Amino acid sequence: MTDFDWQPLLLTFRLATTTTLLLLLVGIPLAGWLAFTRFRLKPVIEAVVSLPLVLPPSVLGFYFLLAFSPTGFLGERLLSWFDVRLLFTFEGLVVASIFYSLPFMVHPVQAGLENLPASLREASYTLGKSRRETFFRVLLPNIKPSLLTGIVLSFAHTIGEFGLVLMIGGNLPGETRVASVAIYDEVELLHYDAANAYALLLLAVSFGILVAVYAINKRWAIF
Amino acid sequence: MPMIHFHARMNLEFASGPGLLDVDFSLKTGSLIGLYGPSGSGKTTLLRILAGLTQPESGRIRVNDRFWLDTEKHINLPTQQRNVGMVFQDAALFPNMSVRQNVEFAAENRRDPRVNELLELAGLQNLADRKPVTLSGGQRQRVALARALVRRPQVLLLDEPFSALDRVTRDQLLNELLRLHRKFGTTTVLVSHQLDEIQQVTDTVLEIEQGKMQWLENKSENRRADKQSVSGIVTNIAFESSKVRIQVQLAETIIIVEQTPTALEWQIGETVKLNVDPEQFVRQSKS
Repeated sequence: MTDFDWQPLLLTFRLATTTTLLLLLVGIPLAGWLAFTRFRLKPVIEAVVSLPLVLPPSVLGFYFLLAFSPTGFLGERLLSWFDVRLLFTFEGLVVASIFYSLPFMVHPVQAGLENLPASLREASYTLGKSRRETFFRVLLPNIKPSLLTGIVLSFAHTIGEFGLVLMIGGNLPGETRVASVAIYDEVELLHYDAANAYALLLLAVSFGILVAVYAINKRWAIF
Repeated sequence: MPMIHFHARMNLEFASGPGLLDVDFSLKTGSLIGLYGPSGSGKTTLLRILAGLTQPESGRIRVNDRFWLDTEKHINLPTQQRNVGMVFQDAALFPNMSVRQNVEFAAENRRDPRVNELLELAGLQNLADRKPVTLSGGQRQRVALARALVRRPQVLLLDEPFSALDRVTRDQLLNELLRLHRKFGTTTVLVSHQLDEIQQVTDTVLEIEQGKMQWLENKSENRRADKQSVSGIVTNIAFESSKVRIQVQLAETIIIVEQTPTALEWQIGETVKLNVDPEQFVRQSKS
């Protein structure tokens, strides 16, 4: 157990928390737009959002590697305009994780909104309420189980990231060495005790979160 | 005389197949009309066009001097600016809010005295803290009605709000609707596929079938306005299926009136006031 270090676990939870919070800001409005828009290219947008579900993480990681590299389209501009580097940095992991976990936030929230009776939205409009007020005061409070599912799946999915992190983050302790990478590392070094400790902690936390979600969702069921 | 003019045309998928909804009518402000027709005849679409929830291919809606819709001039006020109140078939109460919060949500200001007034008028004071999921169908529609009236809408639209209720509850709510209509004088459009339901509250009925409209013959409309108020003593009460026949002794004659079960609080020997159609009065006097 001499090789066990809390830092990868703390970094994992920091990454998952940051990603989930940012996904709330990005994913909820996107889900709201997708749920109600009649935009012709909606299927294309939905396909883009869902890509991380079917793409191998290494494919996504490869393209992020190209985009984030100091000679890449995005990396070059970020470096010259804002002096920001995304490759092999925590910030880079956050940006990639947002894309990687986007469907896990968008899908449950979009489905929750689409399953609400249209009359709720329309009743609010007839009461003089704007789209924004209707969204935040009527629609979102009535899809709490979907919101919780989105939050938890995004969080859990980010915790479980491995291929993508390895491709664009590498293995820098305190910066990009998250728990899943640490487990891989320890196994390669035949430090099974340390790997076991990381794995067991991730397993326990993930299981605990899922049990809590199912219990809370059962209590919140309103329809 | 303030009026509401409505004209709309749009292609629709009716119950019997595709067709053209083509409706044109005018209403006096403050009137209560029924919109009657079979399921899938275009009633709800007409109501939705009025509310701004559906846009017709062409049409014009003028409420008093304001255009809510004029497709030629590209005017289409959003629902939020149309000042309508709408009661949906499923009540559409917000599940996350209590009865009071549902009504407060509609008010401009939470402390608007009209919130309490309407809760009281609709008999909802004791249910104010309950969530919609715990209410019966009739109670939900009462909340929806109170909520729709809070903003003092120019037009109140009721989309088959009582169709899923049992007859006794439906009759009670129709009476309450009539009472609230008389109190606030809101122009009201009640949609139903049951003519008897509409005729309990109004003689002004617009029939719509396959997207085409016609005013129903209305023999009693003029008489309704001429009803006289008389006092009498209840001498007999007889129950007949959904109606109650009550015999009332007036000064010199006996009259039998049919009432809905909401009049059950009447007792034999009690003095009651009736709005009597003079023709009915004469007919009964002769018998």
